[in-house]
Amino acid sequence: MTTDKVFLSASGLSKSFDSVQAVNDISFSIERQEIFGLLGPNGAGKTTTIRMLSTVLEPDAGDVEIGSRSALREAGEVRKIIGVCPQEIALYEELSAIDNLVFFGRMAGLGGKEAKEAARANLELVGLLERGRDAVRKFSGGMKRRVNIVVALMSRPQLLFLDEPTVGIDPQSRNHIFDTVLGLRDEGMTVLYTTHYMEEADRLCDRIGIIDGGSMIALGSPDELKASLDQDGDVTLEEVFLNMTGRSLRD
Amino acid sequence: MLLPLFIAFTELKRYLADRVALAFSLALPIVMFALMYGAFGGEPSFSATANFVDLDNGPLSRELLDRVGAVEGMDVRLYDSNEADQALGRSRILTAFVIPAGFSRDLESGKPVSISMRRRGHGGGEGQIAAAIVAASAQEIAGGLQTRASAAAALGGGVSMERIEAAVEKLGGGGPPVVVVERGGEESGNVLFGMVAGVLTMFLMFAVTLNAQSMVIERLNGTLERLMTTRLSVNQLFAGKFLAATARAALQALILLSLAVAVMRIAGPIEFIQAVVFSLLFAAAVSSIGLVLAGFARTRDQATWGAVFLTMGMTIFSGAFVPFESGPMEVISRFTLNRPAMDALHSILSGSGGLADQWLQAAILAAVTLVGLAAARALFRTT
Repeated sequence: MTTDKVFLSASGLSKSFDSVQAVNDISFSIERQEIFGLLGPNGAGKTTTIRMLSTVLEPDAGDVEIGSRSALREAGEVRKIIGVCPQEIALYEELSAIDNLVFFGRMAGLGGKEAKEAARANLELVGLLERGRDAVRKFSGGMKRRVNIVVALMSRPQLLFLDEPTVGIDPQSRNHIFDTVLGLRDEGMTVLYTTHYMEEADRLCDRIGIIDGGSMIALGSPDELKASLDQDGDVTLEEVFLNMTGRSLRD
Repeated sequence: MLLPLFIAFTELKRYLADRVALAFSLALPIVMFALMYGAFGGEPSFSATANFVDLDNGPLSRELLDRVGAVEGMDVRLYDSNEADQALGRSRILTAFVIPAGFSRDLESGKPVSISMRRRGHGGGEGQIAAAIVAASAQEIAGGLQTRASAAAALGGGVSMERIEAAVEKLGGGGPPVVVVERGGEESGNVLFGMVAGVLTMFLMFAVTLNAQSMVIERLNGTLERLMTTRLSVNQLFAGKFLAATARAALQALILLSLAVAVMRIAGPIEFIQAVVFSLLFAAAVSSIGLVLAGFARTRDQATWGAVFLTMGMTIFSGAFVPFESGPMEVISRFTLNRPAMDALHSILSGSGGLADQWLQAAILAAVTLVGLAAARALFRTT
């Protein structure tokens, strides 16, 4: 249940596809203005969890509350306060960056003028205003990633889902994204962030949940997780992660 | 209500921004129409050749060939019957005039005779001009003969042929037409109307069923799922995609019909508008089929091949380019989606029926649209 402090609450979430149990009885909460990291190896169930939290996928069991509203029963209301940046570059490559932003802004309920203003502001936020009229297909991978993120900001969400937003981009773009995410948090936004990069999670996240085999196997701040590894000297988050999820290769 | 319209507007924008899609959907039909123009309706600069099959080989048939050949700019070429058919079949010539056996004998005896005109399509502008020259030349010969006969009868026996010829010359050799140049083969517009209707329906089917492919791509790259995290409902998204596909096809129909009418001058403004309106119905029907295809296809290849098989199958079995007059293929063609659209467009473009007369074809397409939409909505998924 959400409170003044807790903005997202997931309880007993489960989802299976055919015979595969993708997510198994996951419960956690995210506080307002918190950056919450969801870590896990490939196929751990991170994306399935995000899809259930963002109302795209209906869980087999459990419930999600976002801002005091049930994501199952009041999906329409929940969608008004969330923004989702998927793992894929979910943009229309033939259209310009501005046209993409305006389109998704309109779909998020903005009026025409409002959407154009928001598009320009968001492109400025990620340093792409000057390239706004160029077709997205002409952009580099890093530029596309940045546009992919700000599309999710068009609805001025209170909760932002970022599913591996820094995959395959250069350090400069990654750094720019970090700054953007931290800036959004400072402005009052709550962020759920998934990544494979441990140093990224260590740098950005206030709390981290480690998920494996569809279950939440650890939850805490980066320091708490490092401390949980009974080891002397400097412990990295990657060591914690490998210790908890094992070293065998995943699909 | 506005959101589906905005989706449709954005899809049109994407279509116009995609040069490959534009080239495929517009340049290819333009090339096709250009070929049709050359084969069936071309009007190159006038250097007419009258192609003859002379089955008579008599004095008057030879006189006819001489007279036609004497017309400025006209050339005469002789074929035997089989050669002419082959040349027509391969579009090497567009017209051949067949002088029947007994032409000279019948003409001399005052009987009406006919010269048939075999042709490809409507014979082209050159063929039409040649036909007029052949008819005029034949009438001159017939008129001369009749005048001679009348003069001989009037002057009585014992008058020399020289005097009769002089009198005929003075009279100008006129007389009532006794030669009819028949227009053999198909009615001139039929082939063109059929071809235009066939090409139009085929490209609309291709364009819209290939829309299924872009839906699959959207599903794979996550834009559909992303849309489902906005305030858009599934029904609004579905309606938007349907409107988008229909609008895209309507735009294509407008361009293709404009081209066909402008280049081949096959219809007037009223027929053009009616054809555009009817094309909208067909666009809606194939759009719904495209959405059904998108519901089934899991991968881009499945969508592409599904679209190709559907379009080619429908085009071939509908008799779009080789009409089926009778037999089992004709029966099969009635079950294709193209057939009612082609029949209606043919009728509208040829002026043999207006939009209101196409109620049966319109009802069939409306029914296909409704059933298609119901099936597509049941199959519609964003992931």
